[in-house]
Amino acid sequence: MFQVNRAYPYIFYLSLITYLLSIFWGLFLTPEDFVQGNSYRIIYLHVPASFISQSLYLAMAIASAVYLIWKVKLSVYLVRSIAPIGAITTFIALISGSIWGIPTWGTWWVWDARIVSTLILFIMYLGLISLHDSFNNNEKADKFLSILVLVGSVNIPIIKMSVQWWSTLHQPASITLSEKPAIDLVMLYPLFGSIIGFTGLITCLVILSSKLQIIKREKNKSWVKDYV
Amino acid sequence: MFNIEFNTLAEALLMQSQNGQNHGIYVWSVVLIVTLCISISFIFYKYKIKEISKKIK
Amino acid sequence: MQVIKFEFLKLLKKSRGWLGPILVFILIMIAYPLTVEVSDVELRQSFFSILWIAALLVIMLATEDIFLEDFNDGTLEQYAILQKNLSFIIGSKVFVYWLVIGVPISIIGTIFCVGTTSQTAFGYQILPVLLVSTYIFMNVFSFGNALSLTKGSVLGTLVTLPLLLPLLIILGKVVVAINFDLNYSGFLLLLLGILSIIIMIIPMIISYIIRAHLE
Repeated sequence: MFQVNRAYPYIFYLSLITYLLSIFWGLFLTPEDFVQGNSYRIIYLHVPASFISQSLYLAMAIASAVYLIWKVKLSVYLVRSIAPIGAITTFIALISGSIWGIPTWGTWWVWDARIVSTLILFIMYLGLISLHDSFNNNEKADKFLSILVLVGSVNIPIIKMSVQWWSTLHQPASITLSEKPAIDLVMLYPLFGSIIGFTGLITCLVILSSKLQIIKREKNKSWVKDYV
Repeated sequence: MFNIEFNTLAEALLMQSQNGQNHGIYVWSVVLIVTLCISISFIFYKYKIKEISKKIK
Repeated sequence: MQVIKFEFLKLLKKSRGWLGPILVFILIMIAYPLTVEVSDVELRQSFFSILWIAALLVIMLATEDIFLEDFNDGTLEQYAILQKNLSFIIGSKVFVYWLVIGVPISIIGTIFCVGTTSQTAFGYQILPVLLVSTYIFMNVFSFGNALSLTKGSVLGTLVTLPLLLPLLIILGKVVVAINFDLNYSGFLLLLLGILSIIIMIIPMIISYIIRAHLE
């Protein structure tokens, strides 16, 4: 706990500066898109949020597997603390995507595969929180939370691959590992900075949330009284 | 490489594109929502930690 | 084999457990054309969506107390103590529920499909899809029921309902494939593949959950 506390201000301010600089660069210093006009600038807010929401679910899945196999209590505290933050990031991704859809596609909601799967991810995050809170915070609740996270992780490949498998309204990936990016380089750099900065900010939120969860669950131990 | 796209504040608020549409309201509303969400989350978690620390003391 | 016969007789005795869902399904399928004042062509297109939704809801209704009575009178504890595989017993229980509830729903759904669209080729193609998808629904809903076994609420079932929505997306595309004579056998094999994975994994997960409940 103490090393993280010492490093926390650095992570926070560094990621905040990166994020704000990238957003500023993306909003004001990049040229206008030929097809979409100026509304494409929402990409600097929408892409990091959706990327982080899927990565947070993968992190929850790995932590749940660690809990089920090795019975490390800290893992399940991490799973329970990531769940609300995942819900917030998925909410941001859904809202920014809908508002971006109004000038681009003419409608703010389409029933195509990737959008519906992201909505399913949001509902799964909320269901995880409600399932864990309906028990009285004992070992049974932790086991069920981990199992539900693992079973629900079938949704993540569907989100990632749905734009490849079915031709839908949502555009396919512009940044892949193997090919030249389909987006112009001038617009690509603020996107990278934005993703890195947003990741840092969400890491800070996860650290805060885990601190809250650990203090709440280990209330009766003696080291908590000394720490607080 | 770095040339500022919008010259005045009014232009930056409206973000008019080549075909004359004003996209500023969409971009700025998304910026507002994202900033609100993230700042409220930070403030909420810090408040909860303070509250539970007070209860333990 | 004995377990399957035992569960079968137990389910047949509880007549509201299997007759109720089938009657509700028939009621929904009859009530839908009455409440929708559309012409013949549109009814043919929108019929399939009400078929999937009715099957989904009826199976959710039917598996609401698949483990509850056994948990309350102690039979589940006896099953867990036995030397036999608990996941085999759970798998056979879900299989019996599918035989008594899922297969009649598929047959009735096919009859309604042939009656509405008046093309028997649709019936032949939609019957295997219905059989496989009702079995998948039943597995996932019994998993959801096992999660909230002691609380007795529907929270577990509601939480696992979002897991089935990708399956509904696939089923929608199956209907398009049937209508335009496209890749029907590919979709059927995809559904069979999903079913084969789910049949293996879900009873193991449910047995783990039930053992966690019984401690």
